[in-house]
Amino acid sequence: MLAPLSWLKEYITITLSPEKLGERLTEVGLGTEKILHENGDTIFELEITPNRPDWLSMLGVAREIAAIENKSVKFPVLQTDLKPKKSTQLLPLKIHPNYKITPRLTGIIINNVKVGPSPKWLQDRLISIGLRPISNIVDITNFVMWELGNPIHSFDYHKIEGSEMWVKQAKGGEEYESVDEISYHLPKGAIIYEDSKKIFDLVGIKGGKNSGTYEDTKAVFIVVEVDDPVLIRKASQALALRSDASAIFERAVNKGGTIDALKRTVDLILQTAGGEIASELIDLKEQDFKPWKLSLRLDRLEFILGIKIPEKEVLTILDKLSLSPKLVKGNVIECTIPTYRNDLQIEEDLIEEVARIYGYNNFPKTMPFGQTPVVTVPYFRDYRKDELVKRLLTAANFSEIYTYSLISDQDLASVGIDSEKVLCVDNPVSKDFEYLRPTLKINLLKALANNKGIAKEINLFELGKVYMGKSLDNITETYHLAGISNTKSYIEVKGLLERLFEEHNIKKNPSDYMEVLEEGVYFEIPYSELFEMTEEPRIFQSIPKYPPVMEDISIELPSETPLGTVMKDIKEQSTLIKEVTLLDQYKNTVTFHIVYQHQEKNLTTEDIKPIREKVIASLEKSFSARIK
Amino acid sequence: MSMEEQLMNLKNEALSLILSAEDGKTLEEIKLQFLGRSGKLTLALKDIVKVPVENRAEVGKLANEVKQAVEEALERQEGFVKKETITKKRAAIDTSIPGIQPQIGHLHPMTQVMLDVVEVFKQIGFQAADGPEIETDHYNFEVLNIPKDHPARDTQMTFYLDTRNSKVTPGEVILRTQTSAMQGRVMQKVKPPVRVIVPGKNFRYEQVDASHGFEFWQVEGFCVDTHIRLTDLFGTIDYVLRRLMGQDIKLKFATTNFPFVEPGVDTYMECTVCKGKGCSFCKYAGWSEIMPAGMIHPNVLKAVGYDSQKVSGFAFAIGLSRLVTLRYHMDDLRLLTNPDLRILKQF
Repeated sequence: MLAPLSWLKEYITITLSPEKLGERLTEVGLGTEKILHENGDTIFELEITPNRPDWLSMLGVAREIAAIENKSVKFPVLQTDLKPKKSTQLLPLKIHPNYKITPRLTGIIINNVKVGPSPKWLQDRLISIGLRPISNIVDITNFVMWELGNPIHSFDYHKIEGSEMWVKQAKGGEEYESVDEISYHLPKGAIIYEDSKKIFDLVGIKGGKNSGTYEDTKAVFIVVEVDDPVLIRKASQALALRSDASAIFERAVNKGGTIDALKRTVDLILQTAGGEIASELIDLKEQDFKPWKLSLRLDRLEFILGIKIPEKEVLTILDKLSLSPKLVKGNVIECTIPTYRNDLQIEEDLIEEVARIYGYNNFPKTMPFGQTPVVTVPYFRDYRKDELVKRLLTAANFSEIYTYSLISDQDLASVGIDSEKVLCVDNPVSKDFEYLRPTLKINLLKALANNKGIAKEINLFELGKVYMGKSLDNITETYHLAGISNTKSYIEVKGLLERLFEEHNIKKNPSDYMEVLEEGVYFEIPYSELFEMTEEPRIFQSIPKYPPVMEDISIELPSETPLGTVMKDIKEQSTLIKEVTLLDQYKNTVTFHIVYQHQEKNLTTEDIKPIREKVIASLEKSFSARIK
Repeated sequence: MSMEEQLMNLKNEALSLILSAEDGKTLEEIKLQFLGRSGKLTLALKDIVKVPVENRAEVGKLANEVKQAVEEALERQEGFVKKETITKKRAAIDTSIPGIQPQIGHLHPMTQVMLDVVEVFKQIGFQAADGPEIETDHYNFEVLNIPKDHPARDTQMTFYLDTRNSKVTPGEVILRTQTSAMQGRVMQKVKPPVRVIVPGKNFRYEQVDASHGFEFWQVEGFCVDTHIRLTDLFGTIDYVLRRLMGQDIKLKFATTNFPFVEPGVDTYMECTVCKGKGCSFCKYAGWSEIMPAGMIHPNVLKAVGYDSQKVSGFAFAIGLSRLVTLRYHMDDLRLLTNPDLRILKQF
């Protein structure tokens, strides 16, 4: 909201500079986003939190400044006593209230008004907060709303057919044209005013074209009401229609402020548009909306804040906020909460009041004392393990990326996944971000493509969540670890994963998680499943005391013999064979390097001979190998 | 020539040869010439048996001294010659040529900052937890004192999951809008004392710009014990942010309203890019909102089964994405999800 300094000064003397005032306002909760200097005035752009409808008015802001500056607010003088003169002919209006949806309806009828442009001072006020002047009556209702914080609406009395009206909820689908000539279909449950023939107001949100105040209006029915915040919010959301009034109503309007707002409006109308009061004061309500009591224990205040603020200072702060504090029985302060402070309901709310005016930046800083929790927290996650995994991948020249979880239908199609089987959001920001990724592949492929032309060697990985489940009844949300490389060979990537698995004691074959794609070598590992199991402690193996014996064997194999199987077969021939590596490969001839080692003695040629023979026999038998 | 004279002559001869030697090979030859199996000194030493018995001890002592002197001289000269060789070798290298770096990948800046955050909190007794991103309205809002149709929901526009073919009531399952959703999940399962942080991704229905994304990262944290005070919250925020962003950063606190805290606190950090002067990154405010927080609302404590008269606590959320961009002076949040190697290689 915009609050011009000149307007605020009508209610309060301000001594702080605009910059200092802005800082203080932000500290106490009235977020000052910008301070603008325009046309010789200073305008504060304020961000109003949902708990403070009262701040959506100049008087509300002035009250806060009063607390900061330790001054009092000058409330506008209200002259009219809202009683019709005895000689005036009264205009009838029968109202059927509905307290469940509109707990209070305050109003009055003024006859013989002259609708026309408003005086310059009034127009200037509205222009200064970004509103467009319309006519004296409408401008006054807007002005008083922004001054006092209660929305006000003026109806053309003669357009209420049959002089009878009902407060109702819309059935849903009814047509409605607002005062600014936009047609709506009303959502079910919206609060409406209806006369014998038509709906003439979308209450609390926007007035109707068929009941508004125009040049030819002679009598006005001025209404200040209290509406149910949830109903206003629902209707305003359903219509995507927000108004200054709905913003106040959905935060819960000041239930005790309707009479004052009406008086102020009537005063200004009589002054600027003439006319005379033509009805008794209407104030339909089931209960009195009176201030309530709220207690604050001084020891509780100290307990929560961590500092002792002297009793006298606490009383001063609460008094400055117009909360009428009284010290009762020792160390309990009883406050009387004005009806515009609907946010003050529990003791903690009062604790915040004291703390914020005392100034958060005046507090000392301490660290929590007491016991450090030793029990492993539910949902514990070992980020150190993630780090070890990621560090190993970076050591192999893979760089880490973070990508979006939300992807498109087309993305899924690009890797051949049917979007019908993928979780999706009802209200995506766009078609590009509609589905929850069931794989990290799509984003890694895109990332690889994005880097073409930027780098020759592209190795990327991501540790991120994937979301599985055909419907919400069977969701699994787990971490996957995926990577892609456009230059490393399959065997290199496999080796990297072998090392990764070894370090984390995972007994799996990396090839099960690898794919060869047109773009390069890709892997995607179910990380949560494989890595989040408890690791067995590592057991140290003593260094062999006796030297190994090494030899190379060259054999010819039928083409397409899987060499890994061959090597496994060699190794299985004796426990003394510690290592078999592929040394060389040319056409169908391969050379293996074999390491023999005994833990307790030196191996001799005689020891190895039978093993070699066994190896060769097995290779000939199982793989039709020919020894070279 | 007496044995003594012979030994002294051999010593002088050897030393002069050693001192004039300029490379290791010459020294090897000299060593062989004097100390080898049939070296001059070796042979002379064998002749000691010929010395009369009464002189033998004295001559033997001298012989040992000579041998030792020659060995020491050889060793010294070897070291000297080696040094010379290295100097020559080094002189042959063009050290101005840039080094060949090992090919090592890069950890994402988000990971680096997240690990720092986890570490700093670990030091003050906070454990890290991780929770679901597909969350229920119950944990994301209701437990946190944000009933349906509360205006506070406006600031957290929500993605709702498609409930077709499931038993789930529409609107009940969402993508979490805040890691605070984990407050209820954790606290329902464990009694105080509790000190937990929850790093994670959140989702909000927002139009994307330089400082907003519909997916962003936060670190939630909360601490509940028999006596946790507002000053503890201020102290913890101050400690953590100074450890993460440098001890000279400027911080200020302001009142704010979140339904799940009372009193509510917002933390602003002076913009690291412009040092408070105002720039496009801090929207010309000079300050960045970095860590909303507050004392946990009694309704939340009640909802998780705690007695708000017996325990108190604080909660906070660090805007992790924002922290990363502030630390590295990145002017656009979208850089964090851009997998461009020219960005990644800087970290």
